[in-house]
Amino acid sequence: MSTTFDTLKQIVIDKFDIEAAKILPEATLESLGLDSLDTFDMIFSAEETFNIKVPNSEVDIKTVEDVVNLIDRLVKEQAPAA
Amino acid sequence: MRRVVVTGLGAITPLGNQPEQFFTNLMAGKSGVRRMQAEFVDQLDTKIAAWVDFDAIAHYGKHKASSLDRVSQFSLYAATQAIENAGLDMETIDKARMGIYLGTGMGGAASVEEGYIRLYRDNATRLKPFTVLMAMNNAAASAVGLEYKLAGPNLTFSTACSSSSIAIGEAYRQIRHGYADVMLAGGAEALLTFGTIKAWEALRTLAKEDEQDAGASCKPFAGDRSGLVLGEGAGIVVLEEMESALARGANIYAEITGFGSANDSSHITQPTADGQAYAMRAALSCAGLQPADIGYINAHGTATALNDPVETASIKQVFGERAMQTPVSSTKSMHGHLMGATAAVEFIACVLALKHQSIPPTMNLQVPDPQCDLDYVPNQGRTNVALTNVMSNSFAFGGTSGVLIASLFKQ
Repeated sequence: MSTTFDTLKQIVIDKFDIEAAKILPEATLESLGLDSLDTFDMIFSAEETFNIKVPNSEVDIKTVEDVVNLIDRLVKEQAPAA
Repeated sequence: MRRVVVTGLGAITPLGNQPEQFFTNLMAGKSGVRRMQAEFVDQLDTKIAAWVDFDAIAHYGKHKASSLDRVSQFSLYAATQAIENAGLDMETIDKARMGIYLGTGMGGAASVEEGYIRLYRDNATRLKPFTVLMAMNNAAASAVGLEYKLAGPNLTFSTACSSSSIAIGEAYRQIRHGYADVMLAGGAEALLTFGTIKAWEALRTLAKEDEQDAGASCKPFAGDRSGLVLGEGAGIVVLEEMESALARGANIYAEITGFGSANDSSHITQPTADGQAYAMRAALSCAGLQPADIGYINAHGTATALNDPVETASIKQVFGERAMQTPVSSTKSMHGHLMGATAAVEFIACVLALKHQSIPPTMNLQVPDPQCDLDYVPNQGRTNVALTNVMSNSFAFGGTSGVLIASLFKQ
């Protein structure tokens, strides 16, 4: 099963034509050349892929790892009750 | 008053993605009208359109292509061509004195429609973050301004079918009156979406597909005309103040000598000869020319029941006895009606008519209409003609008329 990181990495590669080797957990979004608008675009794809809703209060993210952690947390919080 | 010359051309059209190729195809009487290949074609009564062959991902890469609506992909493509064709050095040019005026009827129509499909058909809960930025009417001009870091005026004109005539005319005035030295001017349109085509079908102005030859469906000024054919594409020209163009040794295609615009206010769709004539007279007056000085008119010539006899009458009203001796053609018979981009590609046809001293034909004109009795250059272009001044007519739903006059450049 692919990890959240792997899935997010693929989203970034597909969307922004960024080299796979540059996409590391500690890489900042800024260092990948993503501006605020690109970040929203990435979050949009993550919302679609992981079936979550990212509230406006949660978009303070700097690194790839921040995004991974945010996704993991929201997936858990927003999972439909069993 | 400062003089304004045309020094660069860019076009992406149903008849080729390069201006000279476009003009060669016009002179050869080729048609860009074809059956559509879109997935929704079975749900259309009208299955023909004049569409552009363009692979945006191959040209711009996935990331850039996905953040530009098709209309902006077209405007950027045509602007780049025009800048390269003009030989402008974008490193050294004064960007504060260079701007862009663009016409478009529907702007990012496909992005609007994609958003509605997601929301209403697919019940999605969110839209792509770029939706607003791709759909807004000024996106096509903005894409060019951003790419070339233009700092001069940036305006979008939306007056339906005359949008890009107004854009070129107003850009001409910006230079003429000293507000800018170089302007990119023209139009872009990409409205061949399911919703837009259905809306046009409802107006009952679209041409019936010719049973023998789909490419011959648009028949301006003909007795068997049945309407217009929707098209897409972009045309952009580089306009420059004459002295600075001469100083840098630019190739000068033509001079813009006249522009007239007026409002045909009688009805939202039905034109009047008086309303159209007013804009033609205004352009002649601006140029200081008489009807006898005009060697060719590129007509609005939509092939709708109403436009063609009214335009014929308005030309007669303005040109008087000269009307019967003045060649008039509708190149829409070949490239279709590019809406907000149509006046720009027709103006490019006029500029190249001056350059090549050739007049493109009105194709598909086999059956005469007694109400349309001018010299429409039927079915066969003319070469080795003597053209000094040419006129390009554009009229529109909503009333805004634009008439441009281009002249051979003489210092």
